[in-house]
Amino acid sequence: PLPLPKSFLLKSLEQVRKIQAKDEVLLEQLCATYKLCHPEELALLGHSLGIPQAPLSSCSSQALQLRSCLRQLHSGLLLYKGLLQALAGISPELALTLDMLQLDVTNFATTIWQQMENLGVAPAVQPTQNTMPTFASAFQRRAGGVLATSHLQDFLGMAYRALRHFAQ
Amino acid sequence: ESLESCGHIRISAPVVHLGDPITASCSISPNCSHLNQEPQILWQLEDGPKQLGDRQQRLPQGIQESTITLPHLNHTQAFLFCFVQLGNSFQVLDQAELQAGYPPAKPSNLSCLMNLTTSSLICQWEPGPETYLPTNFTLKSFRSRADCQRWEDPVLDCVPEDGQSYCSIPRKHLLLYQNMVIWVQAENVLGTSESLRLCLDPMDVVKLEPPTLWALDFSPDVVPPQPGCLWLRWEPWKPSQFMDQECELRYQAQFSGTSWTQVPHLPSRGHRFELCGLHQALVYTLQMRCIRSLLPGHWSSWSPSLQL
Repeated sequence: PLPLPKSFLLKSLEQVRKIQAKDEVLLEQLCATYKLCHPEELALLGHSLGIPQAPLSSCSSQALQLRSCLRQLHSGLLLYKGLLQALAGISPELALTLDMLQLDVTNFATTIWQQMENLGVAPAVQPTQNTMPTFASAFQRRAGGVLATSHLQDFLGMAYRALRHFAQ
Repeated sequence: ESLESCGHIRISAPVVHLGDPITASCSISPNCSHLNQEPQILWQLEDGPKQLGDRQQRLPQGIQESTITLPHLNHTQAFLFCFVQLGNSFQVLDQAELQAGYPPAKPSNLSCLMNLTTSSLICQWEPGPETYLPTNFTLKSFRSRADCQRWEDPVLDCVPEDGQSYCSIPRKHLLLYQNMVIWVQAENVLGTSESLRLCLDPMDVVKLEPPTLWALDFSPDVVPPQPGCLWLRWEPWKPSQFMDQECELRYQAQFSGTSWTQVPHLPSRGHRFELCGLHQALVYTLQMRCIRSLLPGHWSSWSPSLQL
């Protein structure tokens, strides 16, 4: 298997925890501000809005494959970076948290991409941004925000487990 | 034609190194009607004595020109006057401002700390000796890979406020968990210099704040500590909780003059830590500090003292 440098794994684990903490803050702020505190109640709306979820199938412990796991991790981070961008303007109070979260996700995507390049497993061209959902109302944007943030939390949880596995 | 425009000073350089020579010439146009054919041109530096130039000559078209070389300009700023005698008075024809100073020395002791509260990287340096000239400092940086041999995107220059020797690079210009090359450039009219270059990942130079240390209160569900023991708990500084940290405790009997006793390698969060080996009759001062573990980082300062 391709060796992953310890410093890369330690820094990546720390980046995941950093993003998780900020993502949690955003979820709390969305709940406190708009009383949208239960993402599971927004599943139907999420489906109609087309809020995507990034797959991490190659990072699951049953089917762990380093090369495609890193690719899924990178693509997923780009997806959530785009989703967070689509939420811009959701409200002034959340703007700072949203900006910082977006920067952290972007920086983590760079960390993954550069490691893929170092391992020689990076695709020739960086994947392009997926088309992002559009929101017809402030409520849809807020609900989309809760869903995207919640999906990101799940995504980070799986990523963390995979990275811990690589670190063992 | 007014008298002032009769004469004009030209100088070899508006700014010179302090102590270097400077040469000036004052020329009087022939159509300056108030003056006789061969006016005597005199010079005065600041409020010094009036003196003749090194040489006065008549140029083609009848221009009278006096030239003077000041061998060592030791003023960092001075006015040089060109006079002409009119009757028994001296009339100023022109004035030039001379400046002298030094090119900037290499800025030194450049260091940076990442502030997790503002998410900005703050770098500071020592500007070096006084130059006596307006000198601009700029914090320059590039994103880089691995050990900073290869530079990638430039980061926006960080220009400190006037007179300050630090600058703060905002979060949006930082690529965390990647190395960047950072240095300081100093520039004035006499030259440019650069500090040594740093190669760092902002997250490796986090300014960590100390943890919060408490004594565990006695309550029904907490078994009181044995004689000579204390229950302690602590929590890392909140903005840094995503970082794996290692902490160390130090304690000292008050007014005892004894040195600190240190307990190293403690986890970043302690829910219930029993500290024993203490004298029951004494009051102890306890402090704690933490550092990022497994990755580069700086120790936090010691926490405020806890007296127990």
